[in-house]
Amino acid sequence: MPARSICQILLTILLMVPVLVWAQTETYRARLSPMPTTPQTVDSITGEGEVLLSLEGNMLTVSGTFDGMSTVATVAHLHNGPPAQPGPAVHQLVVTAATGGEISGEIELTDEQVEALRANSLYLQIHSEGNPAGELRGWIFARAE
Amino acid sequence: MMDFRKIWIAGGGACLLFAACAPRDSAPEQAAEAELIFTAQAEAGAAAYTANCAACHGAELEGTILGPLLIGQSFVRRWGTQTPSLLLGNIQSNMPPGGAGNMTDEDYLNIVAHMLAMNGVDSVSNALTRASDFVIAENISRVVALRRPPEPPAPQGLTVAGNTEDFVPFAPLTAEMLRDPDPADWPMHRRNFFGHSYSPLDEISTENVAGLSLEWVWNMHEGDSEPAPLVYNGIVYLINPGNVIQALDGKTGELIWEHWTGPANRQDMRNIAMYEDKIIQATTDARLVALDARTGEQVWETVIADNSKGFANSSGPIVADGMVISGLAGCARYIPEDCFVSAYDADNGELLWQFETIAEAGQPGGDTWGGLDDLFRAGGETWITGSYDPELRLTYWGTAQQKPWVPVSRHMTINDVGLFTNATIAVNVDSGELDWYFQHVPAEALDLDEVFERVLIDRGEEKFVYSIGKHGILWKNDRVTGEFSGFTETVFQNTFTHIDPETGAVTYREDIQNAQLDEWTSACPSSAGGKDWHSMTYHPPSGLIVAPLSQTCLENAAREVALVQGGGGLAASRKFFEMPGTDGNLGKVGAYHADTLEEVWAHEQRASLHTGTISTAGGLVFVGDLDRRFKAFDIETGEILWQTRLGTSVQGHPVSFAIDGKQYIAVTTALGGTSPRTVPGVIATEITYPRWGNAIYVFSLPEGVH
Repeated sequence: MPARSICQILLTILLMVPVLVWAQTETYRARLSPMPTTPQTVDSITGEGEVLLSLEGNMLTVSGTFDGMSTVATVAHLHNGPPAQPGPAVHQLVVTAATGGEISGEIELTDEQVEALRANSLYLQIHSEGNPAGELRGWIFARAE
Repeated sequence: MMDFRKIWIAGGGACLLFAACAPRDSAPEQAAEAELIFTAQAEAGAAAYTANCAACHGAELEGTILGPLLIGQSFVRRWGTQTPSLLLGNIQSNMPPGGAGNMTDEDYLNIVAHMLAMNGVDSVSNALTRASDFVIAENISRVVALRRPPEPPAPQGLTVAGNTEDFVPFAPLTAEMLRDPDPADWPMHRRNFFGHSYSPLDEISTENVAGLSLEWVWNMHEGDSEPAPLVYNGIVYLINPGNVIQALDGKTGELIWEHWTGPANRQDMRNIAMYEDKIIQATTDARLVALDARTGEQVWETVIADNSKGFANSSGPIVADGMVISGLAGCARYIPEDCFVSAYDADNGELLWQFETIAEAGQPGGDTWGGLDDLFRAGGETWITGSYDPELRLTYWGTAQQKPWVPVSRHMTINDVGLFTNATIAVNVDSGELDWYFQHVPAEALDLDEVFERVLIDRGEEKFVYSIGKHGILWKNDRVTGEFSGFTETVFQNTFTHIDPETGAVTYREDIQNAQLDEWTSACPSSAGGKDWHSMTYHPPSGLIVAPLSQTCLENAAREVALVQGGGGLAASRKFFEMPGTDGNLGKVGAYHADTLEEVWAHEQRASLHTGTISTAGGLVFVGDLDRRFKAFDIETGEILWQTRLGTSVQGHPVSFAIDGKQYIAVTTALGGTSPRTVPGVIATEITYPRWGNAIYVFSLPEGVH
């Protein structure tokens, strides 16, 4: 094979590498908003946030911010449940112990959890001192291009 | 530390016991002691009320945008003939909306005492108990009434006299004219019998709508309001809160006459009707009243149903070839009488026929209520005005669901479908008999009724009826036979796991099917509806149906309801949250083709929509929202071509009309309402607007912009 052809093949492969890597990264987003509330609780279940997520293989990287919670955040979880149907916590995340801050994590998902992610059946939830059952929540959807 | 009030009540109870054992000549002392206990109960109830009720009903029971007032004439009219026991049962079954939380039976009893005390009840002969069965109004002392700040008497009858003939010559609005309205008029709710909310006027178009400017504005009476004006022959007829009707000159906004039919209760009435020389209104206390369209003087009055039993109206009638056809609401109570659609002679108000929407034992469909005694079959309200096909002689109405909201609360199962609730019913206008029905969501379980407007559309030789209920599903049925013709989901829903594409039969999610008392069920949409009372438009030139939609979800928990006469109610606790996948956008304007039901375009926004949509031959769609914006969209693309900001939330039903060849667009700002206001109120809390400002705004193109 002529050297020029080999160079062309190598160049093509090199050019495709980032494409292949890019193709393997799936990006997602969750909007965090208050847990179910009523006129009686609307002032004690507050805040919002935005979380970006990327999936490479089974590794899910979580990075986002939140603000305006009524009391200090205590813990955050990744949960498994279809849209608007609560389900069990499957992983713990790192969250700033404040009414606003960051939420993050590096999580190795099971194959079933990857399928759940692609079916919009994973969601994030931040608990707080005043709302131990959860104050902010957001389902994860593929990020719009 | 023991609560002082508990000591007070306990002490009072001991005194009462002592008094009961005392000689008979101590009766005055007994009464005095009982009054002391009642006073203590009311004081304790004030604290419980502040903690659990005031957020919606106001600190002084005066009502807010989230809940109705509970004091004064309105309370006495609703509850005066009832007993504290029934009032307690109703509150305990339904309030607060988010669930009872830590509230005890004693808290509820004390809140009832507080409400009674605030409404002037002070002459009780015993301390209040769960079994107190005195008639509330008979225990309101005149002395207490005199101690209360005097309220000016509400106006009654004609308060502003005038005659439309001083502005324009009058010509009766005939049945023929209603079948094919003059392009310049908007002579009925949704403009034509088919409910198209479409104006053939085209002076204001996609090319020039950017120049739309305010022509005049008129402040309306305050109160809950979702109004749909009528316009005939240049006169705007406007329904105000509290059953007040005004006639205004459409060109200048000058008031011609005003009539207070009463009750003056600040309650909402959505729309009115016109026929020949009469304006015909349903009242919030379930009467029909006809006024002279020229002068506002009352012509006749008839009672639709007994308001003291809870029956009420929130929407007006449709007049089909001289027959005034009215729906009915307030049918959640366990009483012998059921909900119905009824027809009256437009000339004198005489009853022509009634069709009951609840099938009783032994009647067709009567075996669909799980063997429940007729007394406990409730619901089936027709609280949105129906449509009419003059050729088929059929009037089409949506019916609300069974009551209470959840099968377990009504002592039924998901298999007890309860005809003829949550259905489209087609009733023959000449006989009042049911021609066909199609039950969209049998055995409804989440307060998602399918009651809203029926839009009649001819596509070629085929005749269809379209509707969207709170599930947000656009249903298409053959309107000759009722046969299912198709559906599409306009917003996310997860109440059903399957909708049969051939029959339209729905399969509820298993946890919804089996929901038990006090068990939270999470579902979308919420009781604010994928769609609610705000009606959709059909634009004949494009074949598009454009609907104002809503994207929120709820958690719902059934409460227990005892099968006792006079009981009943709605009986569920609810919490609300954003719909996943919407990025927090509560409002959605969706355009769907009448043939394929495919979504052609959609516009999503944070603010919820609070008017019906209307379309025009100018290629425009108009709609208003909570954030005070009134917008015009291109019917073909969904692009926003014009918007303006008004005094408060834009709510009601826009209309378009013409005077002397000049086209106008009118819309109301308004406040009040139930779930469509409550749900955005707890989700989109950052959207603010004045708590007053009911008004009508009229727009036109300035001279030279055509």
